[in-house]
Amino acid sequence: MDKYIRNIYKGVYTVLVGMRITIRQFFEPNVTHQYPYEHDFEKKQNVREIPKGYRGQLYNRIEDCIGCKKCELICPVDCITITGDKLPKGEQLWDSMNVIHLKDGREIIGLIEGEDKKLNLDEELTITNITSRQGPQEVIDRLEQSGDESRTQTISGSEVSRVVTRNPVVFYLDQFDIDMSLCMYCGLCTEVCPTECLTMIDTLEGIEYSKFDRTDLIFNFDKQEMYGKDETDTAEAAD
Amino acid sequence: MSDFFSDGFFKNINLQDSSNWATDFVQDVIIPRLPEAVAGHFSVELGTVIVMLVCAGIFVAVVPLLPLVLVLAERKVAARFQNRTGPMRVGPWGTLQTLADGLKLIFKEDFIPPQGDKVLFLLAPYVIFACSFAVFAAIPFGQDILVSDFNIGIFYIMAISSVIVMGVIMAGWSSNSKWSLLGSLRSAAQIVSYEIPLGLSILTIVMLVGSLSMREIVASQDGGIFTWIIFRSPFTFIAFFIFFISAIAEVNRTPFDLPEAESEIVAGFHTEYSGMRFALFFIAEYANMFAVSAIGVTLFLGGWQGVLPGYDFLGGLPGFVIKTLGLVFLMMWLRWTLPRLRVDQLMNLCWKYFIPISFFNILGTGIWGLIFKEDDVWSIGISCAIIYIALISAYAIAGRNLARRPEPQPS
Amino acid sequence: MESTQQTESKIIELKPFTDEMVVNMGPQHPSTHGVLRLELRLDGEIVREAIPHIGYLHRCFEKHSENLSYPQIIPFTDRMDYVAAMNQNWGFCLAVEKLLEMDETKDFAVPERAEYLRVLICELNRIASHLLSFGTYGMDIGAFTPFLYAFRDRERLLLLFEKVCGARLTYNYIRIGGVSEIIPLEPGSIAEQNYLDEIEGFLDYFEPKIDEYNDLLTSNSIFSERTMGVAVMPAEMAISYGATGPNLRGSGVDWDLRRDEPYSIYDRFDFDVPIAKDIPELGAVLGDCWSRYKVRMDEMKESVKIVRQILAEGLPDGPVMADLKAVRPPKGEIYFRSEAPRGELGFYIVSDGTPKPVRVKGRSPCFSALSALQELSRGLMVADIIAIIGSIDIVMGEVDR
Repeated sequence: MDKYIRNIYKGVYTVLVGMRITIRQFFEPNVTHQYPYEHDFEKKQNVREIPKGYRGQLYNRIEDCIGCKKCELICPVDCITITGDKLPKGEQLWDSMNVIHLKDGREIIGLIEGEDKKLNLDEELTITNITSRQGPQEVIDRLEQSGDESRTQTISGSEVSRVVTRNPVVFYLDQFDIDMSLCMYCGLCTEVCPTECLTMIDTLEGIEYSKFDRTDLIFNFDKQEMYGKDETDTAEAAD
Repeated sequence: MSDFFSDGFFKNINLQDSSNWATDFVQDVIIPRLPEAVAGHFSVELGTVIVMLVCAGIFVAVVPLLPLVLVLAERKVAARFQNRTGPMRVGPWGTLQTLADGLKLIFKEDFIPPQGDKVLFLLAPYVIFACSFAVFAAIPFGQDILVSDFNIGIFYIMAISSVIVMGVIMAGWSSNSKWSLLGSLRSAAQIVSYEIPLGLSILTIVMLVGSLSMREIVASQDGGIFTWIIFRSPFTFIAFFIFFISAIAEVNRTPFDLPEAESEIVAGFHTEYSGMRFALFFIAEYANMFAVSAIGVTLFLGGWQGVLPGYDFLGGLPGFVIKTLGLVFLMMWLRWTLPRLRVDQLMNLCWKYFIPISFFNILGTGIWGLIFKEDDVWSIGISCAIIYIALISAYAIAGRNLARRPEPQPS
Repeated sequence: MESTQQTESKIIELKPFTDEMVVNMGPQHPSTHGVLRLELRLDGEIVREAIPHIGYLHRCFEKHSENLSYPQIIPFTDRMDYVAAMNQNWGFCLAVEKLLEMDETKDFAVPERAEYLRVLICELNRIASHLLSFGTYGMDIGAFTPFLYAFRDRERLLLLFEKVCGARLTYNYIRIGGVSEIIPLEPGSIAEQNYLDEIEGFLDYFEPKIDEYNDLLTSNSIFSERTMGVAVMPAEMAISYGATGPNLRGSGVDWDLRRDEPYSIYDRFDFDVPIAKDIPELGAVLGDCWSRYKVRMDEMKESVKIVRQILAEGLPDGPVMADLKAVRPPKGEIYFRSEAPRGELGFYIVSDGTPKPVRVKGRSPCFSALSALQELSRGLMVADIIAIIGSIDIVMGEVDR
């Protein structure tokens, strides 16, 4: 009989304890947000930002790509396809750009004036031809070598945490395809990239790029127009 | 038979037919307004039937709106318990979500399992739907808002709500699905078992009031909050909780949702249903939920009677609906807090706990009725004092338990 | 359920005999934690036998690994136990590092900072994994709300992982010889301090929540009725089936690889190993579903303790990656086991001196624990099957690999 009453008591008591916990949560604020309407651009409470370095869609600044094929080699699922023609020995198209990582997390893409192999970080660095990460216009811009002052910046060496050195571009890249339907977002390819031109987009555009057709997920990053070759050359290269 | 009832056991129960409001309406309102030539040939019986049909039509059209609201309320309440917002897309704050869901369900394919029993399969949702709505006929929503004043109102409700289990078994059997069969058999065992404590706890009220009529049960609680039956005696206080928990079991809600236990038997008896037939199950479930809450309010919480005698606070139709929704909220609260019982534990709870306590209640109510011949200040005062002392001591024990709760330490 | 006994003489036997009903629970079922298929032979609600059929999520991890270089395999280990991918990464990397150390010519050591980061992240991942286990167990038993509470807290952890490695579920964070530098966490920088503060904030928020969850679910009388005394796995049985981790400790065996075979830097931290006990006043039997579940709840507290110790010490300075030019282990074979949230995760690697392994075998804790299901479930009810599956906490990605 004692156990009987104890059971009833225990049942009622634990139920009431549980109900007290849930009713407390009843008056707590929401932890969810209405995703497509409230995303990271509107800074609201509970709305989270996509952190820097998020592994989203792959993007390649093709004009900096030196065609080393390291990414193609490291990709565990073979989603990157590169074909290209190597230039004769000793020739090069141009140098890839420096990527200057700053200590506060920003990164600047541009050309460091002077030698970039052995930087003296006690002095100031002058960076010219600063471009953004994306946009086709930058190809033309940098090939034209415009001397706009706003694209030149001077920073102190103490801010710099890491600098990616320039590499000679020795390939005509006929094809640089990334099949994002195969990609497993491991990020290995971006790590091995010597010029850091292959990156993963860490904004909403890098996450929300769904397509209706699977073939649309194969992204072609090759830009034949930047080589300045005439059409016959391109046709020959394709052969 | 009627002699036995009227002269024998329950002397107070009035089985004489009360006046039919529809007949009165036809005789007093319609016939005087009719032209002379028609009125002479107008049959009062036919008029009564027509008036009743029209009223029933209005009723059947209006009451399904309740589940629409309740489904949304459930989703919103559940969302709040879980720090979410619930549906937000359709309409302002998602208020039209159930409407959209209903439309979607109407246009979906009505799949009938080819190996199943087609007739039973088609019939089952309608059986459940009809029964769960027939219950509303005997619930007094307000002083004069009562479809039919049976003199055996509560008995009728018990009877008609038991038929629901028929529909559940039909649905489970005819689906030709093993999950459905398991679910329906669970449901049968569960509902049949929980009818007993439900009926017994209602019996305590019938003993106190001396009538099976819902109208009279409400009428006996007209003296404000302390004449509500739940406070009339300590035994009715216990009976209320037994009634409420059994009612949750009757309408198959967590923690007693074994017939449709999602994590065990997929969806139970309505696994194979789709489209509008599934919607009928859904509507019936929520209508049922409202119905049992309304019955609970009518029986224990004063029905449409207000908190204070003579004032309309928490009285009338709005008061009734508020009290009912309060019980519905309690059901939701329980649902989103508790895990589910197992079949044998469900039966244990019913047969080992609820039924003995219910019998104890009936015994106690009888003795209470012998001691206090009629309800007066003394009986209610003593009853409330006992309830108060019991609750306070339970709270004190709980506090002591909380203080010396053994914290299981890892070794 | 027709009677199989054809009554020849048309005499109805009073002895009721019913056929066994064979039900397929899964692979599409709400609570088989993925694509487990159970063939249930039921007598009414009583389970005569439950035969697990696995392989619906088989992705050829082991065969696939033979064609990949060592760093390329790491993202595939993410997909084994996707709930605790950090620990899977770590298990594999530890095995490869051990293999690399067999080559005396190489001077190679995992940097101190990387070790601290590994323990920090993996213990947080253990909390995340146990949170999921707690939530889904609640849902299996029928309480939906704990599930969302668990995911609410898990979300905060995933945000922490996202900040350090850029992914929420398949991290690929722990690498051979260190941790990933994909999002650099400079020693002593503001970013590092913010990150550690954020972890501290999470722990401060989370520690009281464990007690709340214990009140909400663990001590709930319906929950304890459902789980206490159900599917008792004695210590001998647990050992003979190869159950490890919380399942083994739930049976009362005091065995934790972090303490008994300390790898990495676990010997520097002070933590308890929660062991289940008989609690007669509650009704808990040693080795039942409740014990296994309770061990997980207690382990979360221990993980919090370890993380707090790291936060108190602070991360040491230095690099996070060893100076490894290429991962080319010497010829040989290795078996290394580590304590993943679900138990002993072992990797057996055979190397022939090339950059690709000859054979990789993953020893999955869930697979071993699942094998006990058949014996545990005999004679119980359908609802208990769900309770068992939830309590042994399987992840089908790891069972099938």
